[in-house]
Amino acid sequence: MSVPLESVTLRVNGAERAVRVEPRRTLLDALRLDLGLTGAKKACDMGNCGACTVLLDGRAVYACLLLAIDCAGREIATVEGLHDDPLQRAFIEADAFQCGFCTPGQIMSLKALFSRTPAPSDEEIVRAVSGNLCRCGAYRNIVRAARIAAGRR
Amino acid sequence: MKRIEGPEKVTGRAHYACDVRLPGQLYARVLRSPLPHARITRIDAARAERLAGVHAVLSSANAPDISWYEESRLFDRTLRFIGDELAAVAGESEEIAEDALRLIEVDYEALPCAVGLEDGVRGKPQLQRRGDIDNGLREAEVVVDAVYTTQTALHNALEPHGCTAHWEDDSLVLHESTQGIFAVRDEVAEKLGMPKERVRVITQHMGGGFGAKQIAWKHSVIAALLAKRAGRPVQLMLEREAENLAVGNRNATRQRVRLGAKRDGTLCAIDVHILVQSGAYLVGGEDSDVIGAYQTLYRCPHLRAEQVGVRTNTGPAVAFRAPGHAEAIFALESAMDELSRALAMDPIELRLRNYATEDQTKGKPYTSVDSLRRCYGQVKAAFDWPERRMGQGSKKRGIGFAAHDWAGGGGWPPAEARVEVADGAARVVTATQDIGTGTGTALCQIAADELGLPAERVSIVLGDTREGLYSPTSAGSATLATLGPAVRMAAAKAKKSGRGKGSRVKNPKDKSIRTCGAQCVEVEVDTETGEVRVLRVAAAHDCGRVINPVLVESQVIGGITQGLGYALSEERMVDACGLVLNASLEEYKVQTAADGPQLVNATQSMPDWEANATGAKGIGEPPLIPTAAAVANAIFDAIGVRVRDLPCKRERLIG
Amino acid sequence: MRAFAYSRPASLDEALALLGASARPLAGGTDLLTLMKADLLAPERLVAIAPLLPSGIARDAEGVTIGAATTLADIERDPTLAQRFTALGQAAGVAATPQLRNMATLGGNLLQRPRCWYFRNRLAQCWLKGGTACHAREGENRQHALFGGSGCVAVHPSDLAPALLAFGASARVRGAHGERIVPLEEFFSLPTGERRSETRLRDGELVLQVSMPSYPEETRSLYLKEMDRRAFAFALASVAAVVRVSARQRIGHVRLVLGGVAPIPWRAHGAERVLLGEEADERLIEAAADAAAEGAVPLKGNAFKLPLLKALARRALRSLLL
Repeated sequence: MSVPLESVTLRVNGAERAVRVEPRRTLLDALRLDLGLTGAKKACDMGNCGACTVLLDGRAVYACLLLAIDCAGREIATVEGLHDDPLQRAFIEADAFQCGFCTPGQIMSLKALFSRTPAPSDEEIVRAVSGNLCRCGAYRNIVRAARIAAGRR
Repeated sequence: MKRIEGPEKVTGRAHYACDVRLPGQLYARVLRSPLPHARITRIDAARAERLAGVHAVLSSANAPDISWYEESRLFDRTLRFIGDELAAVAGESEEIAEDALRLIEVDYEALPCAVGLEDGVRGKPQLQRRGDIDNGLREAEVVVDAVYTTQTALHNALEPHGCTAHWEDDSLVLHESTQGIFAVRDEVAEKLGMPKERVRVITQHMGGGFGAKQIAWKHSVIAALLAKRAGRPVQLMLEREAENLAVGNRNATRQRVRLGAKRDGTLCAIDVHILVQSGAYLVGGEDSDVIGAYQTLYRCPHLRAEQVGVRTNTGPAVAFRAPGHAEAIFALESAMDELSRALAMDPIELRLRNYATEDQTKGKPYTSVDSLRRCYGQVKAAFDWPERRMGQGSKKRGIGFAAHDWAGGGGWPPAEARVEVADGAARVVTATQDIGTGTGTALCQIAADELGLPAERVSIVLGDTREGLYSPTSAGSATLATLGPAVRMAAAKAKKSGRGKGSRVKNPKDKSIRTCGAQCVEVEVDTETGEVRVLRVAAAHDCGRVINPVLVESQVIGGITQGLGYALSEERMVDACGLVLNASLEEYKVQTAADGPQLVNATQSMPDWEANATGAKGIGEPPLIPTAAAVANAIFDAIGVRVRDLPCKRERLIG
Repeated sequence: MRAFAYSRPASLDEALALLGASARPLAGGTDLLTLMKADLLAPERLVAIAPLLPSGIARDAEGVTIGAATTLADIERDPTLAQRFTALGQAAGVAATPQLRNMATLGGNLLQRPRCWYFRNRLAQCWLKGGTACHAREGENRQHALFGGSGCVAVHPSDLAPALLAFGASARVRGAHGERIVPLEEFFSLPTGERRSETRLRDGELVLQVSMPSYPEETRSLYLKEMDRRAFAFALASVAAVVRVSARQRIGHVRLVLGGVAPIPWRAHGAERVLLGEEADERLIEAAADAAAEGAVPLKGNAFKLPLLKALARRALRSLLL
C-alpha cells in the first residue's frame, strides 16, 4: 500500500522544523534521518532499551514508539538541545559511560527528573534511569553523576 | 584524568557507524531464514526489485559467488539456522527496504535439524594432558565429581552490528561498528577480491562489542555489494532481532568436572570433559578455549582436559568477553567451592594451598608471580571476608568467593604508533579503535608521561586504516599492553627529534604473562520467592600498572555488572524447532540500574615491568570472569542449594 | 512497520465511524506499534484517538473515574489514588519504565496483548493468532499460565488490571451503536475458539473510562509484583489485595486478584472465601494463600510460580491484616 507523505512541523529544541514523512515514520527516525539529530539512538526500536529517550512536553519518552506525525505541535527536547548542562559535566566527571551509546538517553531521562525534582534522592535517580539499559554496566557511575549534578558528592 | 572523548559522548556529537549521513544514502535490510535447516528451492525477487524506492536486491540468484564460513557462501542455498542470511535490499528508507523484503518469494525444502547441545553433531575432541590422570585420581582422598552447564548468552551491545558503505571510484570506504578495523579491511578485501589498500575502514566510536564485533561479518560485504550495485552509499544496521540471531553468542557448555585432592587440600587431579556449542558455523572468532583455565589456575600434577565442539542449527558462537574462561571458571570455581566444603576448609585457604607460580602449559614462571596472591589479600580486606550479616525471615544471606586467571591482557606484537610533537603539544597517531574502554585516553597518558607534557596537551588519532599504522583487533584485553609500549617508544623518539615511530617489541621468552583476580559476593536469597539479590561485590584484579584508575574502575564495575546478568538472568531461549524466543531486549534480561549492588573495586596498581615497558596489562575482560561462580557459591552459602546450571534463575531455587 | 494511513478525526463519533477490523485506534501506541513492528498486526489505517478520549482522574461521592487516555504516570502520581486506592497507584508505579508510563494510557494498558514469546514471534502461528495449537503448552513456558489455560497459556501482562479488578472497577465502553458499562470481571474473558482475545471488547469499540466505587476509609490495599529483574519487566506473578476489617476484627470485605498467572487477571475466589467473615491470624492467611493456588495446573517450566504466588498472597495479606 502506498501512502502519500504528510507535512509535519516538529518543534525540536525550541525551533520549528518541517518534515515530510510517511505516517509510519517514528519520531526517532524523523529526528535521526529527516532532521539529522543523531544523539537519540536506535538500539532496539521496540521500547526495550531507552537509548532513544527524548523529552516530549517535558516528559521522558521512547522516540521509537511514537509516530512523528503524532508529535506535531508538541515540544520535543533532545540531547542536542543541552549546552554545558550540569548533568553533562557530571557524566564526564563520574565516568558515567563507556561506549557512550546509551548516554544521550540516560542524560535525557535524568533531565526529566531534574526538571521536576532538582535534588533527587538515590532512589529517585535509580527509578528515573531504570528504563535506560547500559550494556557496558556503568550504572554505578550514572547514579554517581546524577548525585553530583544534584549537588551531592 | 577524564575520558578524552567525554564531551562528544555527553552531547550526542559522538558519531557511530549508524550516525553516518552521506548524500544519497540508502538503507538496507537483510532477509533471513525462517527455518532452522532448509534448502532454497526457489527464490524470486522480481517484485521486490520493482518496488518504488528500491535500488538494489541481492540473493543467491544474482550475488557474486563468495565463499564464507568453511563450505558455505555469502548467500547460500542451504540455510542452517533461523536468521541465516538469504537476501538483502537497499532502498530509500529502512521502511521501503522492509517492504521489499516482504515481496521476495522463497520456497524451502525443510531439512532435519538439531538444536540442543546434546543433540548436535560432535566435532573432533581437543585434548590436553599432564601427568597421569588415573594415578592422580587414585591418589586423591577427596573427589568432587559434578556436571555443570552454562547457557548461551547474547552480547546485546546497544549499538547493533552494522556499517555504512560507499565507493569512491574503485575504492571502498566502510564506516563500521567494529573492534578490528584491520580485520574488517582484510576480510572484506579478500571476499571482494580487492587489494587491501583499496578498502578503508573507519571506526571513530562504537557502541559496544564485547567480542561479537571482533571479526568481519557478512553485512559489511553485503552493504558494499549493494552500494556498488545501487551506485549510492548504503547503510546496513542490523535490527535487534537479527543482532541476537545471527552475529554471535557466548557458547553454551556442559562440563563434567572431577577434582581430586588430598585431605590437606592439595589438588592431585583435574579431569574435565566439556561440550561446547558452536552453533551452525565456525566463524573464526570463537576463541573459546574452555579447557584453558583448568590447565593453569591451580597447580596440579595430573590433568586431563577434553573439549568437544558441537554443531547445531542455531546462530554461530563468537568470542564474548573472556570467551571460554567465563564458562570454565563458573564450573571450576564452583567445584573448588564444593571441594572446600567437602574439606571443611576456607575457600581462599584452599586456593592458596594450590597456588600456581608458573604457567603449567609452558613450564615457564609468571612475570608477576605474586599478583594473584595479592588480589586474594586485597579483595579479602575490601570485603571484610568472611564477614556477613544475618538475613531476616525468609531472606537468607550468604557469601561466595571465586578466582580466575586469563591468558590475555599481556599484549603481543605487531603494533605500530607514531608521535609528533610541536609547540608544546603532541599528537599520537595510531590506527587502533576505542571500543569504549578508554584506549585513546590511556595512550595519550602514556605519551604525555614519556614526553613530560600535561596529558591535556596530547591528542590522538585513531580508528582509520588509512593511517597505515597497523594495530590489532581490540580483543583479549590486549590493546593497551600491545599498543602502549609502541606509543611509549614513539614518544621517546619524538622527544628527541619531534617525530618518532614506535613498534611493539616481543614479550620475554622465558616467562609467561597472565592477568588474574578474585571477587567476593554477598547475596540475599528469598527462600519463598526465589529472588536473589546481590548485595555487594568486591573485586581485585591484576592489570599490572594502573595507568588510569578511573578507566580501570569502569571496566571493573562494568564487567561485574555483565557478570551478574550472566549469573542471574541472561539466557538465550531456543525451542525445539530452533526458534529463538527471546531475541529482544525485553525477554533477554540484562541488568538494569535498579539491580545494582554495592560494588567495591579493590584493584591496586601492580606494575609488571617484565611484561612490557609500560608495566600495564589489560582489564577489559577479566572482571566478568569470576562473578557467576562467586554468586553461585554465595547462594549455596545462603541456602544450601548448589546451582550447577547457569543462570541461577529462581526456578532452580524454589518449586 | 507496514505502511498505513493516519487520521486525526475531530470527534469521537467521527473516530468511531472510521474504526473497524482494518482501522485501529492509536492512543499511547506502546503496545500497538510493537505489534505492528513485529508484523503481528497490519492495519490499513490508524485513527488518533488520544486527544478525543477522556483523560484525568475525577473523584466524587460515587467513587473515582479515570479517563482512558490518562497515562500510567498520572495514575502513579495521583495523591487520591495513592491514599484511597493504594494498590492501583502501586501497580502503575511498578509497571514498565518511566518513559513507558509517560506514554502508555489506561485504556491501552487494559487492552494490551500478551507478551508470550510465541505469540510475539511472527514465525510462530500460535492458537491465539488464529492457529491450531498453543506452542507454549508443550514448549518453553516458564512465564506462562497456572490457571485458565484452555486454548492459550499466555498470561495477561497488565499490572493495573489486577488492581482495578480488586477494586471492582467497571469500564465504560462506546461503539458506533452506543455506550455500555462492563464490569472488568466480565470485560476480561478467557479467549475462545471464536474470539481469540482476552477481552469482550468488540471491533470498533473504545474504552472511554474506568470507574471504581468508593470504599469506606478503613479499606486498605496493596499490590506486590515479582519480576526477573528489579525493574523493566512484566510480572512473573503479582497480587492485588483489597481488604476491610470490621469493627469486631472480622474481615468484612476482601478481594484478591492475581496477575501474571492466567490469560486474564485471575480472581482468587477460594482465598476470598477462606478469609471473609473470619478473624485474621497466621493460620488463616496460610490457608488463604493455599486456597489462592488451588486449581492451578502447572506446566513443565512454571511450577515455581506456585510457591511464588502463595508467598505473594501471604505477604500481601500479612501486611494488610496483621
